[in-house]
Amino acid sequence: MARNVTTQRKIVNTVLAWGIGLLIFFPILWTILTSFKSEATAIADPPVFLFFDWTLDNYRVVQERSDYMRFLWNSVIIAGGSTLLGIIVAVPAAWSMAFVPSARTKDILLWMLSTKMLPAVGVLYPIYLIFIKMGLLDSRVGLTVVLMLINLPIIIWMLYTYFREIPGEILEAARMDGASLKEEILYVLTPMAVPGIASTVLLNIILAWNEAFWTLNLTAAKAAPLTAFIASYSSPEGLFYAKLSAASTMAIAPILILGWFSQKQLVRGLTFGAVK
Amino acid sequence: MAKFSGTRAHVYLAMLPVWIIVLVALVSSTVWTFVISLTNSKLLPVYKFNFFHQYELLLKQPAWQVAVSNLIVFGVLFIAICLVFGFVMAIMMDQRIRGEAFFRTVFLYPYAMSFVVTGLVWQWVLNPGFGIQAAVRGLGFENFTFDWIVQPDRAIYILVLAAVWQGSGLVMAILLAGLRGVDEDLWKATRIDGIAKWRVYTSIVLPIIAPMAATATVLLAVSVVKAYDLVVALTGGGPGNATEVPAKFVMENLFARQNVALANAGAIMMLVAVIAILVPMYYARRYMAQKAEV
Repeated sequence: MARNVTTQRKIVNTVLAWGIGLLIFFPILWTILTSFKSEATAIADPPVFLFFDWTLDNYRVVQERSDYMRFLWNSVIIAGGSTLLGIIVAVPAAWSMAFVPSARTKDILLWMLSTKMLPAVGVLYPIYLIFIKMGLLDSRVGLTVVLMLINLPIIIWMLYTYFREIPGEILEAARMDGASLKEEILYVLTPMAVPGIASTVLLNIILAWNEAFWTLNLTAAKAAPLTAFIASYSSPEGLFYAKLSAASTMAIAPILILGWFSQKQLVRGLTFGAVK
Repeated sequence: MAKFSGTRAHVYLAMLPVWIIVLVALVSSTVWTFVISLTNSKLLPVYKFNFFHQYELLLKQPAWQVAVSNLIVFGVLFIAICLVFGFVMAIMMDQRIRGEAFFRTVFLYPYAMSFVVTGLVWQWVLNPGFGIQAAVRGLGFENFTFDWIVQPDRAIYILVLAAVWQGSGLVMAILLAGLRGVDEDLWKATRIDGIAKWRVYTSIVLPIIAPMAATATVLLAVSVVKAYDLVVALTGGGPGNATEVPAKFVMENLFARQNVALANAGAIMMLVAVIAILVPMYYARRYMAQKAEV
């Protein structure tokens, strides 16, 4: 912990932190600001920072193009669906790993987690072939399943670390009172597991919402989420900057908000548990 | 810990879906990829084996060589700069500054966002026509030039810049956790001995948090091998092939050039690279854990 810091140094550090924070946040801030500009102002030379005529036009135009709403909707369904599916599969597994650990549980977990770090190109082509065969290409169902698959290791592992923190004594106490297995799960463990599950859900929604590699490669027009929509416009010659910024702002808004409320889990999940 | 009163059968049943998914989807897909890489498949998988012919071809491909050397330049610079920035930021954060949680989140935001989305604003910032160059010229410096993104020999540094922006918050978060583990008494002792702060950080604290730094390095290295979003969103591999990377090479051969076997050989090479990064880490961890137990 920080070592007798003098007031003077504290001020210097705080100013420094604001400076770096602003620098890091600037590109994000700029996207948000640009989304409120007119197209002409967005590419003004020299750039205009705060003093322009704020307008909601971009959002209106983007909304009016019905296909934009479809991309947004796809993002919601795919991120939400894959998270829900993942949780359903992962909870029992994480549960049994945490409460009935075997000698190799740790190794299995580590191995599973490392699959999340492997390059996705290693499994892309077979999955692509399977998708063609099953007619899943450019479908929400297919993408939901794939995102569930690739995020499953991290879901299991996150849940496992949360479940591990549930004290075992409480189970003993419940059993002393004559609780059956079913009651144990329903009335003792489930309420205690809810916060951990909620944090995992938040993190996974962020991960799935962001996913670009799979969404770019497995979707075309029908099932494409926001990331794919924005990428498809990624040769901006200044034509639609403001509108694209509006779309980008909508794509990053959930992360800004969810990230804010799940700061700790975000750090924990993104660092693969290096930070508790 | 008290045992959950379910039986072994319950446990196997609970794990079954996960095993099916992991084995069927991940392991078998990887094996399939490897099998295809041993064939002569062009547009569709054809199971006529030619063993390591594709790997030979791959290593001889100028495009692959360029992609790999780009990746090395990018990776070394990115990891080095990220570690330095992350360390400095972590030290700053460790000085009891106000609103630490706020800054931690802000610093981590870029890493939490898809570069496909944030890359847009980078294109804008780096575009000589209306980004930084235009802004600085607008302030009166008519001769200011910052057009690295369109210069073949400079574009790779732009990738480094954007990647550092994205990744340094992650390093900060990991190293900060390490700094928090440093004993307060150590600081008292060095203060009494009158050792300069920077000396303490470089000679005493750095070795203590070395495992955390190693973790950060591994995570960054893995992300380097996988680098795809960044390149696609920012430069598309250009100008020319100045910022071509293996992942993009694989994707191109897979979908655009109909060179499926070659692409899968490339994918396997990337996989091997990541495993080569992860395995030493894994054993180091085990070794440390065993040492801690003794």
